[in-house]
Amino acid sequence: MIQFDQVSKRYEGGHEALSQLSFEVPTGEMAFVTGHSGAGKSTLLKLLGLIERPSHGVISMDGRKLSKIRHSGVPKWRRQIGMVFQDHRLLMDRTVFANVELPLVIGSIARVERGRRVRAALEKVGLLAYERQLPATLSAGEQQRVGIARAIVARPALLIADEPTGNLDPQLALEIMGLFGEFQQIGTTVLVASHDLPLIKRMKKRVIVLDHGRLVADLAAQEVL
Amino acid sequence: MSPETPHAETPARNEHSRGRRLASWQEHHRWSAAASLRRLAARPLGSLLTIAVMGLALALPLAFYLLLGNVQRLGDALGQNQAISVFLKPDQAAQQAQLLAKELGARPEVAAVSVKTPQQGMDELAKMQGFSGAVQTLGDNPLPYVLQLQPRSDASAGALAQLVTDVRTMRSVDLVQDSGQWRQRLEALLGVGNRIVLILASLLALAALLVVGNTVRVDIASRSEEIGVLLLVGAGKAFVRRPYLYAGIWYGLFSGFLAALLAVSIEFALAQPVARLSRAYDGQLHVGGLPPWLLLAVPLVAALLGWLGARLVSAWQLRKAA
Repeated sequence: MIQFDQVSKRYEGGHEALSQLSFEVPTGEMAFVTGHSGAGKSTLLKLLGLIERPSHGVISMDGRKLSKIRHSGVPKWRRQIGMVFQDHRLLMDRTVFANVELPLVIGSIARVERGRRVRAALEKVGLLAYERQLPATLSAGEQQRVGIARAIVARPALLIADEPTGNLDPQLALEIMGLFGEFQQIGTTVLVASHDLPLIKRMKKRVIVLDHGRLVADLAAQEVL
Repeated sequence: MSPETPHAETPARNEHSRGRRLASWQEHHRWSAAASLRRLAARPLGSLLTIAVMGLALALPLAFYLLLGNVQRLGDALGQNQAISVFLKPDQAAQQAQLLAKELGARPEVAAVSVKTPQQGMDELAKMQGFSGAVQTLGDNPLPYVLQLQPRSDASAGALAQLVTDVRTMRSVDLVQDSGQWRQRLEALLGVGNRIVLILASLLALAALLVVGNTVRVDIASRSEEIGVLLLVGAGKAFVRRPYLYAGIWYGLFSGFLAALLAVSIEFALAQPVARLSRAYDGQLHVGGLPPWLLLAVPLVAALLGWLGARLVSAWQLRKAA
């Protein structure tokens, strides 16, 4: 379970991105974080990825306080979560296979096991046939799916995605969101930041609404119209 | 991906045995070594320039070391006879010369004493080019008895200086010629030269370190995006740094080989003129090259320097990136 308890984040310069935010996401749930630009969606995900640290409050996952993780422990924490970005963050000089394999290489997984897991992840996102290609030869949607395969290949307990469909057409966006839904079904906790309200409505999942860093609504799946 | 739940798995630390983790770590080392070599090959001009600058910087102290070594050998060859020549006054007879030789031979710093008669001196002079005619014009032999004192090899410079002073004050002695003095001066000069080489080598090693450091800094700056991705997907600094450390090692190793090659080339270039010089001194000079251990040590030390330069810069750069 992810818990945010009175979490605030104030950047240098005084801008308060999050203000006394409290909510919980049970293990295996999928939730959308939405709000206008600057509402604090990305900051919330950055706090979970330990890219930023909160100014106040406590974030914990399964009872483990993230604030207790020292700087040297950040890589290990990041190996336990999967992150998907709007701009994919793929290494363009490495093949699709090598990109997806990256978290497993970092995690010291044996070569044979790596090959098995990478192909399984690529099959899941429908890109097994592209494993030897460079990301530049793929479409934006395919590149995003490579990014998702990379995020899930190490079988993380938590998957966070920051505007993963921002550059995609509605049909592709729906496919990508469907993938996240599938990961939730196998027990992964999924948090997706998105401002695409029509898409969020179609997914019928829990929605956390932020406005100027404050929690203004927390809608259960059945409340989303 | 097979429908396995993420929570059904134990953490990665427990999932893999230490042996498998070690194998994976070794695999990443191999990958890093090969990848860094490929990156060097991908921009040949830049890599060659870096290697050439480092190689020249490392070859310079080697060349000086070679030069000093040969000057030392030259000194050894010329200074083999460190005898102290004691010229007796012309009125001293053979008996006095023998008595004085016995007295000086008893001193602890003297290994041997030989007596050169005036006739032997005249014969030597007659053999020397240009002097035979002049010798024939002489009526009486004007040369005195000469004692050749051979100092002990373990005699200190101070003891020898005292010996010379003592002999000079003797009544029967006209002149003392200490051929060991120039040798001492040469030794002192070589000592200064060795120190200069050491300082120069240290400065040029620092320069080589900075060259590698700057090259790696530029390399890291051009790959900041990749480094950002690696850090985001959970790579530790050691993982990210590894290919750059190998790049430093490659730069050092190749420049070390280049430096050794240049030093050997200089040695070959010097061989002929030194051989000519040797012939002029009756073949007493032996051309000396760099010892094989040094030629082997240079690439290894250079690789260490490259690693150190890359280590310092990458630590600083990655701290900024993180």
